[in-house]
Amino acid sequence: MDSSTKRQILISPVTRIEGHAKITLQLDENGNVDGAFFHVNEFRGFEKFCEGRMYTEMPIITPRICGICPISHSIASVKACEMIQGITPTHTGNQLRRLIQLGQALSSHALSFFHLSSPDFLLGYDSDPSKRNILGLADKYPDIALRGIRLRKFGQEISERVTGKKIHIAGIAPGGMAFPLTEHNRKALLAWIHEATETVQIGIGIIKKFHEENEAMVKSFATSPTLYMGTVGPDGEMELYDGKLRFVDVDGTILQDQLDPARYLEFIAERSVSWSYLKYPYYKPYGFDKGFYRVGPLARLNIASKMKTPKAQKEFEIFKAIGNGKPVHGTFYFHYARLIEALGCVEEAERILHDHEITSENIQAHGRWNYAEGIGCTEAPRGTLFHHYKTDDTGKLINVNLLIATGQNNPSMNRSVLEVAKQYVKGNDIQEGMLNRVESTIRCYDPCLSCSTHAVGAMPMVVEVKDADGNIVKRIERN
Amino acid sequence: MPKISVTIDDKKLDVDVGKTILEVCKENGIEILTMCHLKGLTDVGACRLCLVEIEGVNKLLSACTTKIAANMIIRTKTEKIKRYQRITSELFFAERNHVCSVCVANGKCDLQKLGYKTEMNHIRYPYLFPECNVDTSHPWYVLDHNRCIMCTRCVRACGEVEGAHNWNVMNRGYQVRIISDFDTPWGESVTCTSCGKCVHACPTGAIWPKAIVQGQLEKKPEIIGELVEKRKMNL
Ligand code: SF4
Ligand code: SF4
Ligand code: FES
Repeated sequence: MDSSTKRQILISPVTRIEGHAKITLQLDENGNVDGAFFHVNEFRGFEKFCEGRMYTEMPIITPRICGICPISHSIASVKACEMIQGITPTHTGNQLRRLIQLGQALSSHALSFFHLSSPDFLLGYDSDPSKRNILGLADKYPDIALRGIRLRKFGQEISERVTGKKIHIAGIAPGGMAFPLTEHNRKALLAWIHEATETVQIGIGIIKKFHEENEAMVKSFATSPTLYMGTVGPDGEMELYDGKLRFVDVDGTILQDQLDPARYLEFIAERSVSWSYLKYPYYKPYGFDKGFYRVGPLARLNIASKMKTPKAQKEFEIFKAIGNGKPVHGTFYFHYARLIEALGCVEEAERILHDHEITSENIQAHGRWNYAEGIGCTEAPRGTLFHHYKTDDTGKLINVNLLIATGQNNPSMNRSVLEVAKQYVKGNDIQEGMLNRVESTIRCYDPCLSCSTHAVGAMPMVVEVKDADGNIVKRIERN
Repeated sequence: MPKISVTIDDKKLDVDVGKTILEVCKENGIEILTMCHLKGLTDVGACRLCLVEIEGVNKLLSACTTKIAANMIIRTKTEKIKRYQRITSELFFAERNHVCSVCVANGKCDLQKLGYKTEMNHIRYPYLFPECNVDTSHPWYVLDHNRCIMCTRCVRACGEVEGAHNWNVMNRGYQVRIISDFDTPWGESVTCTSCGKCVHACPTGAIWPKAIVQGQLEKKPEIIGELVEKRKMNL
């Protein structure tokens, strides 16, 4: 193809996802999209600058990678520390961690659904972009906006009441937790359960209605099949905090089950690509081209055999029916999956708050450096997260590898963007509604690229159409 | 004990001879910022925070190392002193790598408290970002040079109170470093008794126990002074 006839459309930055990102759409000479790249330009160098520190500092350092899933980093990290020490946390310590992780999943899912995505569903994709955000939502549907905000607050309040801090929590220590939960705080958290359950159910109502009214779009939205990976409990139940890994293929056949996360390198390989700082992980036995797998809420429901709690189980059964028991590949169903998880989170939080030992002071087991290597794994809101440390025999870190959810979803994200762009973008006739659909593909994955920007709608968007030589042939700015 | 008259912050006081200005101020409830001073250890005047103005003396003097003398007119809270204290605390932060948010001492650190006290809301000096070692070789404790402010409290606690003299000071200027023995890893020291006095004496997150994480640090610097007092009583 003559390079002068090749054009690129650049959507930058993607609005309403947490971080800086840029999408390049490659057009061929007929104006059809033939390539899509989602650039991740944030490079924060954590793996490198943690080298030389004590491994026990990692549960405090690594949460700084992200302001939305700091607890997952802390938990993956502390598990790696516990493997280095060869110790198991106390029951109460474990339950408290579980609780704050549920809180984080709730507030993250509330942010993703109510703040960032529901404006699309309730106000419409083609509505005025300057109003298609939480503020516009508050104008038209004040009750829903407020509920969304409060659900997020509940999640953060769990952190605050368990650890003393809302975002960058303290107190997750090897062997358990550093501070116990007071009876006062336990009761205060229980008081939220009713409202939180209702809010999630309202969210489920919104997404189901949208599914009904937009059936064709929802069913055809970025549906390329992939493999899935996630964590399950001993009976194959969906698990966020601690469990074993399961891989399923495109038909839902279990490829690996009850896999110790410490063996992740046997099953996941990573490749660097020139256009992104994120590494491209893939399912090793299938190779780079066929080994695309996804993680996160959709993956977790696709791999799980059941949920742990009754209300979530009911929705789970409805979800499973969408794919006739097979994995649901439609990227749009990420939203539904997220809400089903959120429902399970509220139920499980209630269960934990009723645990007789939850306010016990037996919160921490103690250990010291025993083994050179530690691997910790947990389910972040966006998917499976691995922390892998190697230390010298004094506990000083000599190598750090972090495998984050957004990284694992990145190859599929690119493919989903390409699919949607092929469907909705034709030539360089750029309309707001079409571009937003490309962005919304990315938002389905809810990527956390860095948390430097929490754009709520008002972020300006720049669209550039470039030819293959890098010349800008068209430029649109949205403010 | 013979008494002398002095004036501190416009207040006339009759005080014992032979004491330092800092001691007199403490006894009379006059607050003075300190960092390298620790009760029970010889004062060395290293941090320059306890500066006072004395009428007739054309430079600021450190209260911890200046003996009080008859008829001194001393001021402890002038604008000039405050300005210097703020400069000093900014320089502490600019000199090495203090990332409080991830520091084990966060919320329990004397240097942090100093920042608040001197109303340090930003740092006007360029950060030096020196490359500093983290000595993790001791089985129980860590020395992180990134967070050391060279107050030498560890050196004095180890030498004067424990009598082990593991710690010492090497180099000058911005290259100055605390060393263990003759600059060997702490874990290989032949003098360290692992008593932990330096851990308690250290006002920052530079020396800390391996067993704890942020939020769990409990330093008791006052035990140094108490030990010294108890020993006097035994005599
Ligand atoms: S030693 Fe104190 S001032 Fe330095 S990083 Fe730690 S908390 Fe901050
Ligand atoms: S290690 Fe601590 S006590 Fe020793 S000089 Fe440095 S800051 Fe002072
Ligand atoms: S306390 Fe006086 S100079 Fe440090």
